[in-house]
Amino acid sequence: MTESQSREVTFKVDGRSLRGRQGESLLEALRRYGYQVPSLCHHEAVSPYGACRLCLVEVQKGKRRKLTTSCNYPLMEGIEVFLDTEQVVSNRRVVLQLLLAQAPAAERVRQLAAEYGVNDTPFEVEDPENRCINCGLCARVCKEVVGVEAIGFSGRGAGKRMVAPYDETAEDCIGCGACVFVCPTDCIGMSETGGIRTIERWHRKLPLKTCSVCGRHFAPTFQLNKFAEWTGLPRGHFDKCPDCR
Amino acid sequence: MAARLQEGSNVFVSRLLPRDNWFVSGHRACQGCGEALAVRMIHQVLGRNTMVASATGCMEIISSSYPDTAWSIPWIHVAFENAAAVASGVETGLRMLMQKGKIPSRRITVVGMAGDGGTADIGLQALSGALERGHDMIYVCYDNEAYMNTGIQRSSSTPYGASTTTSPAGRQSIGQQTWKKNLPMIAAAHGVPYVATVNPSYPMDLVRKVERARSIRGPKYLHVYACCPTGWRLAPELAVAIGRLAVQTGVFPMYEIVDGVLRMTVQPEKLRPLKDYLKPQGRFRHLDDDTIARMEQRLHQEYQKLLRREGLQL
Repeated sequence: MTESQSREVTFKVDGRSLRGRQGESLLEALRRYGYQVPSLCHHEAVSPYGACRLCLVEVQKGKRRKLTTSCNYPLMEGIEVFLDTEQVVSNRRVVLQLLLAQAPAAERVRQLAAEYGVNDTPFEVEDPENRCINCGLCARVCKEVVGVEAIGFSGRGAGKRMVAPYDETAEDCIGCGACVFVCPTDCIGMSETGGIRTIERWHRKLPLKTCSVCGRHFAPTFQLNKFAEWTGLPRGHFDKCPDCR
Repeated sequence: MAARLQEGSNVFVSRLLPRDNWFVSGHRACQGCGEALAVRMIHQVLGRNTMVASATGCMEIISSSYPDTAWSIPWIHVAFENAAAVASGVETGLRMLMQKGKIPSRRITVVGMAGDGGTADIGLQALSGALERGHDMIYVCYDNEAYMNTGIQRSSSTPYGASTTTSPAGRQSIGQQTWKKNLPMIAAAHGVPYVATVNPSYPMDLVRKVERARSIRGPKYLHVYACCPTGWRLAPELAVAIGRLAVQTGVFPMYEIVDGVLRMTVQPEKLRPLKDYLKPQGRFRHLDDDTIARMEQRLHQEYQKLLRREGLQL
C-alpha cells in the first residue's frame, strides 16, 4: 500500500491529539510535529533499523504500555505516546553509556551524552579511537539510495563490523560519497588530492575525470562510466563537467 | 555533517537532504529568482523548529501578499531597519519563556533575514548591535545588489559599473561609481563565531554551511548571493549558471570564517575572465574593455588578499 492510499489515524503524544498515516514511522511523525527525539541510525530516505536505540519512547496500546524505539514502530490508530518520561530518560542514559564505551571518539555521541548529563561510562572501553557505532546506515544508503551494495556487515555478535567485502578494496564502490555524508559519527573519511578521490574506510581510490573544456577534475571516471551504463547515454556526454555541459 | 559534504559528491547525496519545504510554492517571485531559491533551500535545512523575522524587501512582498502566505513556519514581517533587532528580541523572549518553564525547552533556530538594502544600508546598525550583544541567532543577508522590489535603485552593495535606475549608465556616467561594500568582513569584524558566504548555485556547500551555522551557539552571519534576473537584465534560465560563474570568476568568493579563521570552501583551480560573468547581464552591457580590465585588476587584487588571509586569525 503506498503512502497516499494509506489510512489516516489519530494518536496522542503527551496528551495532545495528532494525526498521521497508518504504518508510517512513529519517529518521522513525531518529528513532523516538531518534537525533538534524538537518534543516530535513522534517515527518512532508507528503511528503519533500530540500531542505536536512542529514539526510545513509551507507547500505550490498549492496556499495555511498553518502551520501544520509535523509528521502527509503525503508527496505528489510538496509540498513546509518552516522550521523555522517567523510564525513557533513564534508559536513554544507559544507551548513551553503552555508545560511549563502543565509540568514545565519536563527537556526536559525546555531545548527545553530555546533553543527557552522561560524561563517563561504567562499561569497558575496547578501542578509545573507535568512532563507528555499527548502525549500518552507510550500507542501507548504499543499497537503497545508490543501488550499489558495495559494503556490508561482516562477522556477528561482538565481532560484527561494517567493512568492504573481505575488508579489502570495495570494488563496486562508485565513490559517490553518500555514505560519508550520511554517517552520523563521521567515521568513513573522504578526500580528494592530485586528481584521486579516496574513501579511506573502504580502501577505495578512484581517479577523477578532467573536463574536456575547462580542465577541472569533477567526478571519478569509474562513477561516470557507471552512469553512462545505467542511463544509456553516450560516454561522450560525461566528458564535460556539469558547468560546461 | 560539517566537513563531510563536498561539492563533488552531489549525485546521491542530494537524495539524502531534508525534503520538507517550509517556504512553499505559490509565492510571487519572478522567474529565475535566486533569492527565492536560496530561501527555500536554507529553510529546508533549518527545518520546522525555526522562527523568522523578515525585513521589508522582495521576500516580504512576494511571500506574504494578503491573504496568502508562503511560510509554514512562524514568520514575522518587520520594518526595513530592524530585522536583526526583532530576531534578537525573539531569541531572548524564547530563552526567558523556556527558563521560566512556560514553554517546553527545545532548540529553536531564530533567523533574521533581509536583503542587501535592509542589511548594508538601512539595517546595518541593528545588525551590528545584534552581533555585538551575542544573541543565538542566524542573520541571513540575501544580496541581490540593489533595491529590486522598489524598482532597481542602487544600494551600497551594488557592484562597480552596474547600471541601476538611480545610477544609470550613459554618456556622463558608467553606472554605479563606488565599489561594493564588503559586508561579510564587516560582520566578521564583530568577532562572531561564524560568518560565511553562501551561493544557491552550490547547493551542497549551502547545506553544509547552514548546518554548521545552526550547530554553533551565538550570532551567525550568512551572506547569500541572490541572483535577480529582473534587476540584472539577465535571462532567467541563466540564474543558476551566473551564480557558478560568479564563483569561477572570483566575483563572489566562497569562504567561511569560523572563530576568526578564514577558509575558502569552493576554490576554482584557475579564475575565469571577468568578461564571462559580465556579458550575460544587461546591467553591465555598456562597459568598455578598459573599464572591465580595471575592474578585473581590482577583483584579482581583492581575491589574492583573501587567499593570503586563508588559515590566519583575522
